[in-house]
Amino acid sequence: MTDNQRGVCFFAYNNEQIDYIRLAMLASKYVKRHLGVPVTVITDSGTMKWAEQSLTEYNLSEYFDNIVITTDEMKQNVRQHYDSPWSTFEAQFSNSNKHKVWEYSPYEKTLLLDIDYIVRNNYLNHVWDNYTGVGMFRDARNIRNEPPAARETWLFDAGIKMWWSTVVYFDRSERSELFFNTWAHVADNYEFYRYLYNFPGRLFRTDYCVSIATHILNGMVEDDVVNQLPTNMYFLDQKDDIIEVRQDEWICLSNDREEVWKNILVNHGAIDLHVMNKRALDRHWQTLWEKADG
Amino acid sequence: MDERLQKALEFSNFNLTINNQKKNIKNRVEQLRIVHYAGGVFRAGEDTISFVKTLIDLGHTESVLVDSKENPVKINKLQELLDELLSAYFSATNEFAAHYDKIKKARNIKSIMDW
Repeated sequence: MTDNQRGVCFFAYNNEQIDYIRLAMLASKYVKRHLGVPVTVITDSGTMKWAEQSLTEYNLSEYFDNIVITTDEMKQNVRQHYDSPWSTFEAQFSNSNKHKVWEYSPYEKTLLLDIDYIVRNNYLNHVWDNYTGVGMFRDARNIRNEPPAARETWLFDAGIKMWWSTVVYFDRSERSELFFNTWAHVADNYEFYRYLYNFPGRLFRTDYCVSIATHILNGMVEDDVVNQLPTNMYFLDQKDDIIEVRQDEWICLSNDREEVWKNILVNHGAIDLHVMNKRALDRHWQTLWEKADG
Repeated sequence: MDERLQKALEFSNFNLTINNQKKNIKNRVEQLRIVHYAGGVFRAGEDTISFVKTLIDLGHTESVLVDSKENPVKINKLQELLDELLSAYFSATNEFAAHYDKIKKARNIKSIMDW
């Protein structure tokens, strides 16, 4: 198979709080180690310029086989982030063009991963030869094995179930194209769909876009137009933290949602982890970088 | 705080941590048990392995099996599927045993974390 047959794409648009491109480089190193496929980063010229200035000691082309520079205008989308229950900050979340991965990906078979999804085994290599169309996670658990918060399971109490856009696998089939066109339509008419599907908040969420697109394509019922990736997606919540990084074990602090002053320690083994607390990733970046060498 | 209650709460925290750790190991084991074969998704569980072995023992070399997503999957080489199921089963259960043994011996949170 040639290099452009299969690969991973990341979106990375820096803001004043989070160095997305640096995190993308880390995530890419883990992808290359465990999945052994090329990586494309989709970014803008400002972010790229920053990467060239700030990451001078690294050979960017070693971690990004392709760099796609976009000029898409982003929706204003301010997100509140947590770093433990005790520290918060706000930052622009540039995600309104995520559906354009269909256009930007150079691969026949693509895994679109969020930059905070750290690949820690070769589990995702199953997707390439076993799925046609689109595949995503539907079920998730935090590191203490609890389901996500209500609005990350259902869009509304009496509404549809949420699909995660953290990991999106797709091929170049007509069905995939239909899916991405529907996602684009939902993104363009987000306010209407917010009203129709009754979900709260002002944040533009691609999880909600893909969930609605899937629901529409399923004929407004539960069906299997989109492949559900087996097992759960595991995540480190924004209020959780990483304490220590070892080769195949991360020692984490898991926060109790109800009684936020209570934490338990978790020794998380070699399972992929969606690290929602990006500050925690940033704090341990250097160790994570070194451990990625294996 | 009453010392008895303090000790009870310490044990409670230890128990919570250890139970979560057991679940984490099971999550990893469940991933290892998944076998993708002929476009289907199978769990390398005792039931699937026994069923495939039964079909082979009855002289079948191919069959349609219903996978874990409830889809019919045409299997042309049952023996090859059985080999894959067994391989996944052994690697999953060996890892399970190794980790479980470590947890069983743990008497405090520090030892679970290898501190």
